[in-house]
Amino acid sequence: MAECEMIICRCEEVTYQELLDTAITYNCSARELKLRTRAGMGYCGGRTCRSMVDQVAKQVGSEQSKKSISLKYQAPIRPVNFVDLGGEGK
Amino acid sequence: MNNVIIIGSGPAGLTAAITCAQKGLEVYVIDEYMKPGGRLLGQLYEQPDGTWWNGINESNKLFQQAVDLGIQFYLETAVFNIEKKDNRWKVYTDKETFQTTNLLLATGAAEAPVPIPGWTLPGVMSVGAAQVMTNVHRVKPGNRGIIIGINVLSSAIAMELKLAGVDIACLALPKNNQITHESAHPKKVLDSLLHVAHMAPSSFVKLGSKLMKNNFMKELGVTFFPRNGVKMWDIPIQLKKAVIEIYGEQEVAGVTIASISSKGEVIEGSEENIAVDFVCIAGGLYPLGELAALTGCPFHYIEELGGYVPLHNEQMETPVEGLFVAGNITGIEGAKVAAAQGRVAGLSIAERTGQHQLEEELKDAIKQVADTRKNAYIQFHPEVESGRRTVQMEWEEYWSKREQII
Ligand SMILES: Cc1cc2nc3c(=O)[nH]c(=O)nc-3n(C[C@H](O)[C@H](O)[C@H](O)COP(=O)(O)OP(=O)(O)OC[C@H]3O[C@@H](n4cnc5c(N)ncnc54)[C@H](O)[C@@H]3O)c2cc1C
Repeated sequence: MAECEMIICRCEEVTYQELLDTAITYNCSARELKLRTRAGMGYCGGRTCRSMVDQVAKQVGSEQSKKSISLKYQAPIRPVNFVDLGGEGK
Repeated sequence: MNNVIIIGSGPAGLTAAITCAQKGLEVYVIDEYMKPGGRLLGQLYEQPDGTWWNGINESNKLFQQAVDLGIQFYLETAVFNIEKKDNRWKVYTDKETFQTTNLLLATGAAEAPVPIPGWTLPGVMSVGAAQVMTNVHRVKPGNRGIIIGINVLSSAIAMELKLAGVDIACLALPKNNQITHESAHPKKVLDSLLHVAHMAPSSFVKLGSKLMKNNFMKELGVTFFPRNGVKMWDIPIQLKKAVIEIYGEQEVAGVTIASISSKGEVIEGSEENIAVDFVCIAGGLYPLGELAALTGCPFHYIEELGGYVPLHNEQMETPVEGLFVAGNITGIEGAKVAAAQGRVAGLSIAERTGQHQLEEELKDAIKQVADTRKNAYIQFHPEVESGRRTVQMEWEEYWSKREQII
């Protein structure tokens, strides 16, 4: 398998090449890279690929601030049933 | 009604819970795993004084002490959100919603992945997963494996796997790309490896600590690092070889490994295949701050601490009222430091509930953290103390800015 075809975000099936190209073309921050490619926006909430998306942006994208988290966390931070979220039916 | 909820039952959370209970507080501990102990559970190694550090025993001791003190445990309970409403914390889990006035986050650390072509095949796992399978569940991850990524954690776990009778072909670097970056650079890796030198017998120690006093020597060290690696506990450490691909149809069948230059570039024509039935990837640890991030607590990226850490002071308070942190969420260190921080957090929480005359105890506990750090057997970053000072400075800056605004 070629390195460029390697999957980085499994949930949204985003490849290494796609991340690199996007980061270079738009000189992305990690957040912009995520929004443009959907890497980290899938079912797992970016639990696996977060650090890799960060790293691509850091290496080939734009300068990042050290004073705030580059990729925001949002609840729920664990996969959860709609029933448990909404409280209905319980 | 409880006085404090602790999320995470690792060494930090358990020690904090015990401290709070000893001060008469009612304590709930929540953890998503089925056993208490956190990452302590997987740890097993010989200490410099010849005694063995057995994480399962240490966890059981702490857990028993906690249960005897009447602490309530909610295991297999994942917290997916926390929220502050009317000065009370609401802790949402997949089981029920809890409420408290004091909340301690002791959620530990997570492992960073290493992307190598084929890393999504079944049979590829993080090195920590192999540790948990072997030491906690007593299941062999496979018969013969390879570890990609050479760092403190992977070398410690390699030894544990070997003890369990699992064959490790070698530890090698990942192929250099924009993500693996420094972890694929022989000189940078050698540099950080020197800090595990004390864990290795003979040749590696000598090669490490003697040669590497300055940059020039490090360059030489990499240049003269034997092509076939040096052995640590009989496992070859390959600083000049990188795994360029993991192959297999349905699952891992082997890896392709190649020689690399001292800058990490692959030397063409040097590729060879190694048959293995599992692969461990070791990308290092970072503080797991996701819950703290939901509260609006400020974060800072501090390399020496492993990544983004929630702002906190030596008392383990965050700027968010009623929110405390302890353990690896504040920076990557060994279990003993995490436990010492847990004690500080426990005392701070007791103080916040209105208990007096804790100043001396708190001061001692804070000193204990520093002493434990100095004598730590395992150190994940050589400059961890400087990282700790940076947090302290950021804390002071944060409050001085706030005062200016007010
Ligand atoms: C794979 C791995 C191996 C390690 N090996 C060693 C070693 O050999 N020696 C060493 O000294 N240190 C090792 N460490 C470092 C280790 O993190 C510390 O030694 C110590 O365990 C940290 O303690 P802690 O209490 O901060 O967190 P942990 O021990 O990690 O405990 C955190 C707990 O919080 C729980 N948790 C997290 N998020 C949630 C949530 N949302 N809801 C509910 N529960 C949650 C977890 O299930 C876990 O039990 C290792 C770390 C990892 C990740």
